[in-house]
Amino acid sequence: MPLNSRFWAIIFLSAAFFFSGCTKKKKSYDFDPKNTLFSRLGAEPPSLDWHKSSDTTSAEVIMNMMEGLVEYNLSDPELSLKPALAVKWRAENKAQRWIFTLREGVKWTDGKSFTAQQVVDGWERLLNPATASEYAYFLFGVKNAKAYNSGKIKDFSQVGVHVNSQGELVVDLEAPQSYFPYLLAHHSTYPIRKDVVKKFGDQWTNPRNIQTLGAYRLVKWDHDKAIVLKANKDFYGGEPPIKNVVLHIVKDAQAALNLFDTHKIDILDSLPSVELKHLRKRPEYRTVPLLGIYYFGLNVKKKPTDNVLVRKALSMAIDRKEITDMLGGGQVPMTSWVPKGMFGYMPDKGLKFNVKKARELLDKAGYKDRSRFPTLKLLFNTNEDHQRVAENIQAQLKRNLGINVELGNAEWKVYLSALKSNNTPHIFRMGWIADFPDPDNFLNLMTSYSANNHTNWSNKEFDRLILKAATVTDKKERLRLYGKAQEILVEKEVPVIPIYSYVSTQLVSKRVLGYASNAMGIKKYKEMRLQ
Amino acid sequence: MSQQGVPAMSKTPSIDEEVWEQDLKERLFAKIPLFIFSLLMFTVALSFMGYEIPDALLWADFLLVFGVFTVYVVSRHLTLYVFKRLGEAVLTLFIIASLTFLLLRIMPGGPFDRDKALPPEVLANIEAKYNLNAPLYVQYFDYLKGLSRGYLGESYKYIGRGVTDIIMEALPVSFQLGFYSLILAFLLGIPLGVFAASKHNSRFDYFAMFLANSGTALPSFLVGPILIIIFCFWLNWLPAAFWDGPEYYILPVLTLGLRPVAVIARLTRANVLDVIRSDYIRTARSKGLAEKVVLYKHVLKNSLIPVLTFSGPLAAAILSGSFVIELIFNIPGIGKHFVESVTNRDYPLILGVTLVFSFLLVLANLIVDLLYVYFDPRIKLS
Repeated sequence: MPLNSRFWAIIFLSAAFFFSGCTKKKKSYDFDPKNTLFSRLGAEPPSLDWHKSSDTTSAEVIMNMMEGLVEYNLSDPELSLKPALAVKWRAENKAQRWIFTLREGVKWTDGKSFTAQQVVDGWERLLNPATASEYAYFLFGVKNAKAYNSGKIKDFSQVGVHVNSQGELVVDLEAPQSYFPYLLAHHSTYPIRKDVVKKFGDQWTNPRNIQTLGAYRLVKWDHDKAIVLKANKDFYGGEPPIKNVVLHIVKDAQAALNLFDTHKIDILDSLPSVELKHLRKRPEYRTVPLLGIYYFGLNVKKKPTDNVLVRKALSMAIDRKEITDMLGGGQVPMTSWVPKGMFGYMPDKGLKFNVKKARELLDKAGYKDRSRFPTLKLLFNTNEDHQRVAENIQAQLKRNLGINVELGNAEWKVYLSALKSNNTPHIFRMGWIADFPDPDNFLNLMTSYSANNHTNWSNKEFDRLILKAATVTDKKERLRLYGKAQEILVEKEVPVIPIYSYVSTQLVSKRVLGYASNAMGIKKYKEMRLQ
Repeated sequence: MSQQGVPAMSKTPSIDEEVWEQDLKERLFAKIPLFIFSLLMFTVALSFMGYEIPDALLWADFLLVFGVFTVYVVSRHLTLYVFKRLGEAVLTLFIIASLTFLLLRIMPGGPFDRDKALPPEVLANIEAKYNLNAPLYVQYFDYLKGLSRGYLGESYKYIGRGVTDIIMEALPVSFQLGFYSLILAFLLGIPLGVFAASKHNSRFDYFAMFLANSGTALPSFLVGPILIIIFCFWLNWLPAAFWDGPEYYILPVLTLGLRPVAVIARLTRANVLDVIRSDYIRTARSKGLAEKVVLYKHVLKNSLIPVLTFSGPLAAAILSGSFVIELIFNIPGIGKHFVESVTNRDYPLILGVTLVFSFLLVLANLIVDLLYVYFDPRIKLS
């Protein structure tokens, strides 16, 4: 045989040998679509450890494989609470003590029983300084919790949570908190299996190690690719109708939209804003208010925004509707503070768009000669949509008041450090998304003791109203107090200019039934069905 | 090499035989790189077609390539040079690590700055956990200590995951994508360049250079979506995203490979045109060598030096992932970590990916420098 042919024969034979020994890789997420829901996560979950994670992506996964003492009733527009691991609860001592009766017969995925002590263990772990949990402050309302978290108290039994002789969970608070049960729908307050965490250390959230008690169990976590959940047959609420859930991790909104269009994903939210014009016409399109506000803060220690008349004039000179029309995502223009979809939403409050009045106020503030009005500096974090809003406001203020605004932008973390510095600009952009659906979560933001209040504004009466409202259980009375507080904030003092209340835009495949789009952006797969 | 043998002067058959035997040896020897190349290509083909690659094959590939390289380095007396360069590389990496460490701390904004500000108690616990409350020089020496043991630390963002783990999961994907694109770039770019040069000023030349120019000019964030529209939505042939088998590889590889194909084609063409006019080519032609032999043996080998120079940084850049392409096609590669680790101020991860990229760059440049000697024996490395 000539050399060349012999050479190629050897190559060919060895190739054939290897081919015969190789197996073709299986497609990774090849489940029967009839009983599999495909959804999207917008990022790799940073952690599935519910005491350590602090983001919404991780929360979505955790909330489907775990249960808290209570959960949201997603079909109620005001998102009331319904029993989960606790079957009932009651307040004592003017909402300073809360007592939870726990469900019996609940099993973890390894067959072990759920106990009240596991809730206490969970809280102990959350508050333990060594855990370094970001959400530890969620329970700072509990007696001595803050002291334990800061290391001032070493003994956890001094923290206000214990199991009483009837097996009920008793929580003592530092001060009355009428909304306390809402905190227990949050994943940071879920119970934990101390033994599992101890055995596996940081690796306990690995699918092989993790123990949960929710409707789904974690079976696969391919970092940056997908998470696979399987129905938990032993779930206390019965096995959920959808057997598998594949959560593809898709960062880019456009890529996610392509996947929706090629039927690889059934549910999609945070749609790309430039595509909304077309997407709005599709039958799968849904929009629902999201508990969040988009606002501009004013530095009340800097000239000229230290003058309340100037602040009022600025707020009145901005037509919010012009901005939401430009964005076109269905955002709700807003002059009040509590977002749409939450109790306490009072669209009538706040300074309405009135150019004439705004000009008068500015004249009164001593700037009749507009050329004497200093150029305002407006800062926002770098983002296409924020840029559009900022440019619009710049144009409106020029047009309506004849004043100049200089725009500046910075990368997110640089931006945050600029807000914390002593040199906060006159106007800055901010947003707030609810941690729990209660007005306290929004109004607390602007108290003098809030670390998130970058305006330098403080008002004793406002602080008093917020503290008082937290202790009141009567809804009507709370509403009255929050109304008064909002008046101070957006009508009398105006350290902030609310622009709009967020909406969530979604595409939901027709084959998905029972998905209640809600203002907290929560997806509970156990409540969904497939057609 | 056989073509350059000197057979004509032989008087006795024994010398003829000797020559023939030597010739055979040379020919067999010449087959070794070809064999290794085939094996490598075979591995690539296997992986591209979505087969599980046996560890034995991977090891065989690695050992063979490493072996050939060692033989090459030793036979050309480059051993000392290689060790010298490796020593320099360690120093370079150390300087890069130190500078990056310092720059990160100067950069405004910290890893735990949140839109929802954390209470001071909570922040203190977190800083204690990650040793961020220690003096800067202590943190620096701790970091170096870890680095000397090959420990890159734990990510701040992906809680409980080691930086090494994150990189080792993402890098192979980017490597795969980059490797296919590199192969595409060389297999398509070089012949295109040579061909265009050999048909200089013809219609084909213009066409090829038009393609190459557009390839350089079109950004991947435009090419990617256009390919998706054509192949996913109009023709319905290929999937729009993910990284799960051969059909998923095609569009990203094309998108990533397009620019290198274009650049290499242009570089090759320019240099072939340069070499083709030189005296020794005229000599080769006047000897009566076939045009093909002149072109691919004499011209090409000498025109590849600039392509080689370009290939070092190209390989490092392309193998370490592309943020845009990985985003468009939702590929779980390392590209996103280069960008996101910075926006997250995830110090250990930033340092990790920076070091990986620097290492790749240093390594690629070393290999390129060593290959110079093969392509142009006049080059002396010392």
